[in-house]
Amino acid sequence: MSATGRQPSEHVTPEERLIFVMGGGGFTMEPANPLLDDYVLSLSAKQEPRILFLPTASGDTTGQINAFKARFGGRTCVSESLSLFRLRALDRPLEELVLDQDILYVGGGSMRNLLAIWRAHELDKLLTEAWKRGIVLAGLSAGAMCWFQWGVTRSSGPPEALEGLGILPGSLSVHADGEPERLPVWLSLLRDGTVPSGWALDDGVGILFRGTKVERVVSSRPGAEAQRVDGIGGELLKKRVEPELLGAQAGHPLGGYDDAVQEMRRVNRLRRERGHRGL
Amino acid sequence: MPTGRESQIVALGGGGFSMESEGSLLDDFVLSLLDAPRPRVCFLPTASGDADHYVVRFYRRFGSCSDASHLSLFRRDQGTRGVEDDLAAHILSQDLIYVGGGNLVSMLGAWRAHGLDTILRRAWRRGIVMCGPSAGSLCWFEQALSAFHGAPRPARGLGLLPYSNCVHYDAEPARRGEYNRFVASGVLPGFAVEDGVALHFRGTVLEQVVSSRRDGRAYLIEPHGGGVHETAMTARFLGEQLKAMESVA
Repeated sequence: MSATGRQPSEHVTPEERLIFVMGGGGFTMEPANPLLDDYVLSLSAKQEPRILFLPTASGDTTGQINAFKARFGGRTCVSESLSLFRLRALDRPLEELVLDQDILYVGGGSMRNLLAIWRAHELDKLLTEAWKRGIVLAGLSAGAMCWFQWGVTRSSGPPEALEGLGILPGSLSVHADGEPERLPVWLSLLRDGTVPSGWALDDGVGILFRGTKVERVVSSRPGAEAQRVDGIGGELLKKRVEPELLGAQAGHPLGGYDDAVQEMRRVNRLRRERGHRGL
Repeated sequence: MPTGRESQIVALGGGGFSMESEGSLLDDFVLSLLDAPRPRVCFLPTASGDADHYVVRFYRRFGSCSDASHLSLFRRDQGTRGVEDDLAAHILSQDLIYVGGGNLVSMLGAWRAHGLDTILRRAWRRGIVMCGPSAGSLCWFEQALSAFHGAPRPARGLGLLPYSNCVHYDAEPARRGEYNRFVASGVLPGFAVEDGVALHFRGTVLEQVVSSRRDGRAYLIEPHGGGVHETAMTARFLGEQLKAMESVA
C-alpha cells in the first residue's frame, strides 16, 4: 500500500497534528538535561509512546544512536532508531515501521543530505503522511528546519538558504546563540525576500506547532530565547519571545514513574525467564 | 589536469581494503592502472554515512602509497580545507576515485544533492579511474540490484556503464535468484560478480576480470527464452602475478 493512497479517515484534524522544533538541545546536545526530551515524550497521549529516532542528517552516526538509547532507553516509551545506511537490518517495510510510531524524532546534521536521502527513499511522503495521521514530529537543527518552507543550512560550508518539506509555513534559523554566523545570513535573506518570515531559535528553545499555528514556546535553559522576525518591504520587524522554562513538573505525565516502570519491567522479565525454565 | 586518457572503471563484487583483511590484491591492481608516480586517490565514504572507521581503514591502506584524501558530504560545515570548499576542483584533480560500500540509494541521493553525480561523470570522461566494492560498484551501472528494505530490488545507478550489476553473488544466495529473475523480466543484461572479483572496464567495454581469490568468478547474465543464460567468466588470479614478481626479485 502506498503512503499517499491512504483513506482520509485515517487522518486526524489539523488541530491534532503536532510538530515540535528545537533550535538545538535534547539528548545529542544536552546529555545532562532531559527537559526537552521529556517534553517531546509528553506530546504523545500514549502512556508508553513508541518513539523512532531518525539520525539521517548525521549519516546515522553511532554517537547519535547511542545518545538516543542512553536518553530514551530507560524512559517510559518504546524506542528504536532507523538507519537509512544500514537498511538491510530492517525486519519490516519502512512504511510499516514509520507509521507505527507515536513520535518521530529527527536529529541534527546536514539538512541538504537529510532531505536528499529521505527523498531517495520516499521517506518525505511517509513523514507528511505520519503528520496527517497525528504522529508527533520532533527534531532539532536540521531536524527542525526540514519541516519548514525554508531553513538556513551549513550543509555545504557557509550558511545558505535551503528549501524544506514545507509542512510548516515560513522559515526557521537554528542555533541563534550557539552559531552566531547563521543569524545574520538568515536576516539578510529575509530582508531581500529570498526566504519568508519566520523564527530564529537559540539552543535549548523549542516551539510546539499545533496544525501550523504556534501553541507554546518552551526552553530547557534560563536566558535562551526565540525571535519572530517578519520581513516587510525590505524592513525587518523583530519580536523577542521569552519561552516558558521547562521544569521537572512539566515533563511526561508519567514523569517520576520511570524508575517504577523500569522496576516492573525487570520483574516481568524475571518472571518470563523463570517461566521458560519451568520454575 | 589529466586529459586524453581513456575512461576506466574497476567494479568490485566485494573486497578491497574494506573487506579483505590482508593483501587487498584488488587494490594493488587498481593502483597498477594509474600512471602517476604518487597517485592522488580520493575516497568517497558516502554510502556508509561517512563512517569514521571506514575512513580510517582507507587511510591505513592508501595513506602511505598515495596522496590520499577523502570527501565527506556530512561534515562540510566543519571543513576549511580545499576538499570541502570546491568539490569539482578536488575530484577532477584526482587519479583515482574510490567509492566505499554501503547503501546505494542513500549514497546516490546525497551525491545528487551536492551535484557530485555530475562531477563524477566528468571525472570519468576525463580518464580519472573509478573503482569501489558493493555500492561502489553498483553506482556506475545503468541498473543495479540493491538489497535494502530486506528484499533486493532494482535501482538506477549513474549509468556510465550500459549494463546491470549484481554484487556479492556468492556470499548472499538470495541475490542470485533475484538477479536472474530481474534480468529475465526486462532489467538490462549485465554482470554478476562474486566477492573478491572485479570487472575492469575500458570505456564501456569489459577488458578483463581479475580476482584476489584463486576460484573467483563473474557471470554474464542475459535473458534467454523466458529465463536467463549465465556465462561464467573465470577471473585472472592476481596472486600468481605477485608470486612471479617475488621470484624475480
